[in-house]
Formats: sequence, structure tokens, C-alpha cells
Amino acid sequence: MTPSAPPFVTVEALSKNFGAERVLDRIGFTLERESVLAILGRSGGGKTTLLKILAGLIPADTGRFLLDGRDLTAVPPEQRQVVYLYQEPLLFPHLSVRENLVFGLRLRRLDEAAMRARIEPLVERLGLADHLEKMPAQLSGGQRQRVAFGRALAIQPPLLLLDEPFGSLDATTRAEMQKLFREVARQVAITAIFVTHDVKEALIVGDRFAHLADGQLKLFADRAAFIADPVSGAAAEIAFWNSLASKTPSPPRA
Amino acid sequence: MSADSANAIAVSWPRRAGATALIVLCWLPVAYLALLSLARDWAFPALLPPGLTLATWRRALAGNDGLVTSFATSALIALLVATLATAAGGVASRVFAYHRHRGWWVLAMHAPFALSPVILGTCLLYFFIRLGLVGSSAGVIAAQFIFAYAYAVIVLIGFWNPHVAALEDLARTLGAGRRQVFQRVVFPLARPLLAVAFFQTFLLSWFDYGLAAVIGAGKVPVLTLRVTEYMGSGNVQLAAACALLLIVPPLALLLLNRRLAILAA
Repeated sequence: MTPSAPPFVTVEALSKNFGAERVLDRIGFTLERESVLAILGRSGGGKTTLLKILAGLIPADTGRFLLDGRDLTAVPPEQRQVVYLYQEPLLFPHLSVRENLVFGLRLRRLDEAAMRARIEPLVERLGLADHLEKMPAQLSGGQRQRVAFGRALAIQPPLLLLDEPFGSLDATTRAEMQKLFREVARQVAITAIFVTHDVKEALIVGDRFAHLADGQLKLFADRAAFIADPVSGAAAEIAFWNSLASKTPSPPRA
Repeated sequence: MSADSANAIAVSWPRRAGATALIVLCWLPVAYLALLSLARDWAFPALLPPGLTLATWRRALAGNDGLVTSFATSALIALLVATLATAAGGVASRVFAYHRHRGWWVLAMHAPFALSPVILGTCLLYFFIRLGLVGSSAGVIAAQFIFAYAYAVIVLIGFWNPHVAALEDLARTLGAGRRQVFQRVVFPLARPLLAVAFFQTFLLSWFDYGLAAVIGAGKVPVLTLRVTEYMGSGNVQLAAACALLLIVPPLALLLLNRRLAILAA
């Protein structure tokens, strides 16, 4: 029997207080390589705090964060290679789309040919070929989020943190981006933690599922367990759509 | 001619006249100073000088009256004050902007402007005497820096906001160290406002009279002191030339700033 591989991401007993308020209470989970953990939770539930701690942007009060066996708890953000994708499609406003995409690569001093080789497939996948010379202000919300996503993927981060990245998009663009994320995640084998307050989005993007509320994280064994648990709200939503479908008359056949 | 175009002309005429009047009003004192500096034997009640001469400018630029030295001293002091105040104001404004008592810091930065420079200079005089700074360029720079630094903080504090903080954090997660965040994100974004802060603090120092008079104790020959000195001695032509020289650096900075803004756009 071969021993099972150690988890790629390990979070142990992570806690964070803001003043007297306990935002994260001994959070712990593991995540395998090339899988996406969807964390569902309401606003103010500590989702952003968790991601910012993992990105190194704010310190945890207690606990540890290991990536591929390396303890990153005290490592500064620029040395973690863990990219944090914001809710707002945050682009550097003084740089063109192309320069935004290669921002992380320039920091790593890649030559122009290597940078082109790295971003060209991403540009193709994300449908940005016609927008490379545009400035961020000339893009739509969906296009901006594609650039932010491409910029994060360009540096091939071992872990991607997504903080409700499609939350500010309209319903149609959001659905497109969810589909695109799922496709690209599979193609480039991303390991990611994706937080959202939308149960449907969690089900579309996630391989594994968790629920975060009042600083406590509940990890589910699989998709079925996530759907079945009342805290996810998935069963209630399915029931709602089913009841609506049963009450709606079918369109007449031509 | 259509009714629309006739209306457009009717509307644009008062605007054009107003704009022209404003330009004339702004440049009239400059034109008058130029004429005064070039005038030969211009005495009351003559409306215009009987003749023009370059004698005043030759004298001014010959350096015997100390005008060239004063120009260089003023320029050096103003450049130093503006550079130091913009740099220190940039750093301090970031600290104050993200501090939980931001409002109090902003209020504190307005304190130097509650007093006129002469009063503030008089208040500072005792400390500056103890520090051995009175009558030196270093003393004038230190005194002007108090004003300029506070002004730079007030100008720059508006730049720092949650959006900029998020961009800084984003750059760090993409692999930028603190210096790279400054070079590649913060500085390019803050450049227009830094230019404003530099320009304004330069002007504060360049046109300062009170602090230079009190702290400089007449031993730091800045250009503003020269103007009043020439006026006092009745040499209005030289005073006019000196006043014109006072306009040159701000005008050059303004044009440079405009040129940079065009290039940036």
C-alpha cells in the first residue's frame, strides 16, 4: 500500500480577533493539489479575513498555514507566491492591459520573449487579444476581471485566492466568468480557494466545499453532503426552483 | 447663416470678451513691471516713459547689486524646501491617512496656517537662536519647511484611500517588495499630486517674505527681501526687474508641469 500524499494546503487552528470581536475561531482544513475549495458564507463572516491571512496581507493571531509542506505563516506576501484576487476587478490604472498582464512577470525579470510565451495562451483563453493596448478605464467589468484573472495566472501561482471575484458583475457576465473560471481552472490545473456568498456559484466552481459563519468553518465530505446540509441553503434553493418549475405552464409546442 | 450658428456666436462673444479681459487683467501687472524695468526717466505725470533702455537689466544681471546671488539663493532654498517637504509630506501623509485619528492629524497640519509667517517666525525665533540657526540659510529652510511640510501633507493626504491600499496589497501578492510597490504602483499613481505639492511648496518658499526677514535676520538675501530693499531705497526700476525675476521660476515650473501633464496624457 502506498502512503497517501500530504495535503498541498494545510491550515491549522487559525484565529483572528479584531478588538473584542472574534472573526476567525481556530479554522482548520486541508486541500489537495489542483482542486478548488469553495467557501460559502455571508458577508461579514470572516471570508475576506481568512483569505487576507493566507495571502500574508494581515497576520493571524494564532495558527499556521502550510503550502506544499512549507510553513508560510510568517513569510511576507511577496515571497509567498499566493495571489489574491479582489472582489472588484482591480487593475493598475496607469498600465495598459498588456502591462497589467505581465506585471508579476516583470517583477520576476523574465525577458520579453518569455513573457510573451507565458501570456499569449492566457490572452487566447481569456479572449483578450483585441484589448491588449487598451487602458483599464476602456474595459467593461467582465473584461477587467478577465485581465485580473490572467495577470494572476501568468505568474503560475501555486495557490490562487479568489474573494467573490465575480460579485460586482451583472448576472450574464457573472455566469460567463464562472464557466470560464471552471474551464481555465481545469486546463491549467489551479489550486484555489474561492469564497462566495452565492451557493450556485460555489457549486459551479468548487471541487470541495466549506461553509464559514461566525468565525467557524465547516468542511463537507463531498458535493452531496454540501447540498444536503441546511446551512449551505442549496437544498432550499433547489426546492424553490423545482416548485417554481412545477407551477409554470410549459410553453405550447409549435 | 442659420439661427443656431447665430446664437452660438452671440453666446461665444461675451465669453470671449470675458476671457480676454481676465487674461489682460492677469498679465497687466507683469507688462507694467516689464515697462517699468525698461523705462528711462519715467516721471509723473507722464503716462508712458519717454524712452526705453536696457541699463537696469544690464545692472541687475551684472551681479554688482547682488541680484543674481539673491536669485540663486532663493531658487536653491525653494528647491530644497519643496523637495524635502514633498518627500516628507508624502511619507507622513500615508501614515496619517491610515491612522485611526486621521482627522486630528489633518487638523494639526492646519496649525501653521493659523498664524501669519511673520508671527510664526517671531514665535520660532527664540528656539532658532538657541539652535544657532538665525541669520543662516539653514534657519530659513527649516522655518519654511514647517509651512511647506504641513501644506504637502494636506495636499497629499487625499491620495491615500482604500483603493490605493488594495492596489499596494495586490502588487505585493504578485511579488512586489515594498520598494517595487512604491516604484511601480504608488509613485506613478501619485505623480500628478506630487507635482502639485512640489509646485505649491516651491511657491510657498519662493514668495516667502516674513520668515526670511525674521529668521534670516537680513543675512539671507532672498529675492523677496531685495524687492522691498530696492523699493525702500527708491530704485523702482531695479525693484521692477527684481519682481520680474520673481515670476520666472514659477512660470517655468508651470510650463514644465503642463508639458509633463500633456506627455503623461
